[in-house]
Amino acid sequence: MRRIFVYISSLLLCLAVNTAIAQKKKPIPIPPDSTRWLNGFTVQADVASLMTSTLMSHVTYSAEGGIQLDLKHRIFPTLELGVAGADKISTDNIGYKTNSLFERIGVDFNLRKRKIDSKPTNNLFIAGVRLGMSHFNYDVTNVTIADNYWGSSVPLNYLNQSVTKIWYEFVVGVQVEVIKNFYMGWTIRNKNLISQDALGKVAPWYIPGFGQNNGSSWGFNYTLGYHFGPGPKKKNSRTVQTLPNQIINNQITK
Amino acid sequence: MKNSIFIVLIFSFLLNVSCVTDQPCTQTKYVKLTVGFYHVNYNDTIYTRSSLNIDSLSVQGLIIDSLTGQYHLVDSILYKNKKNISSIDLPLNNNSSQSKFKLKFNTTLDTMTIYHTNLNDYLSLECGCIKTHSIDTIITTNHFIDSVRIIIHDVNTYNAENIRLYK
Repeated sequence: MRRIFVYISSLLLCLAVNTAIAQKKKPIPIPPDSTRWLNGFTVQADVASLMTSTLMSHVTYSAEGGIQLDLKHRIFPTLELGVAGADKISTDNIGYKTNSLFERIGVDFNLRKRKIDSKPTNNLFIAGVRLGMSHFNYDVTNVTIADNYWGSSVPLNYLNQSVTKIWYEFVVGVQVEVIKNFYMGWTIRNKNLISQDALGKVAPWYIPGFGQNNGSSWGFNYTLGYHFGPGPKKKNSRTVQTLPNQIINNQITK
Repeated sequence: MKNSIFIVLIFSFLLNVSCVTDQPCTQTKYVKLTVGFYHVNYNDTIYTRSSLNIDSLSVQGLIIDSLTGQYHLVDSILYKNKKNISSIDLPLNNNSSQSKFKLKFNTTLDTMTIYHTNLNDYLSLECGCIKTHSIDTIITTNHFIDSVRIIIHDVNTYNAENIRLYK
């Protein structure tokens, strides 16, 4: 009984001391975020898709670009548009042909946290999501069904098949301002189709903007971009930088 | 740090390219009708079914000549004097709604005509298309065969017994 009393009294004492110390400490006020809401927009073009098209000997090809808004230098709503297609002959001489537009809408977040006393920068480490869509027509030609026993086979052609595909993407990447307002960056994307094709349906082999129709695929973009409008570091950047130091100095002199 | 970013970039780029390379077909494309042979025993109002091993079996397709309207044997023989056999796999005609077979059980001859609907089943660009079938009716002669029963109407690449022939 005595032990319990000692424990409780020492615990209360500790709490009382802690509260007293806490009351003495005045919280350092966090400077208000003075970055303006809209900091212009960046127009981007993807170089990697053009290089991939060349490497793939134009079996698959794509060209894409995008526009990225800069909100508070933290949130980047993004719209990407492109054109892609495929002209492939399989090992069994089955042909696949498509060519269409695709679009993606999404948002990126700047994960890079700036230290209070550090220099403001336009270099970003981004992570985001996209919702992609493509409505396209495709042809699957020269599909032969071999009948080794009864003989005779007629090639089948599935022309002008129409489909709308929707997918989502997880994006991570880096964006660096190489010279004033001129940006370079890369992103790696994990793409996942929302709906799968029914069994037996003549499914598309390649989806513009998504890639090969495997349910899930990876993508890589290397973008060049130009920023229009005011940069985030122009407005009140000095205030943000000096305000905490002033407060700290005032506290020290007190 | 710079090196690791460079490696990630190269890896991602190669991954992007490799995603659209040729892949071999890994799916089975052999569509077959599986026929099981059975013997029915009748014992005091109770019917029992047992698997039947045929001592010697030969099976060959019969195809109709579009000019004469007469059936003639397909060049290739599906089973030739196959010993001690209790089930067979038969290919159905992709370009016709009926497939006819000549079955020789030991020394007894029978014919079996299967009426079916053919369906195109697209697999992928790598594998192409297969024809699956849906059995409508089966007609047999009854020299060796007593009766026939359709168990599964859909004929595809699965390992399943489609019909049973009873002696």
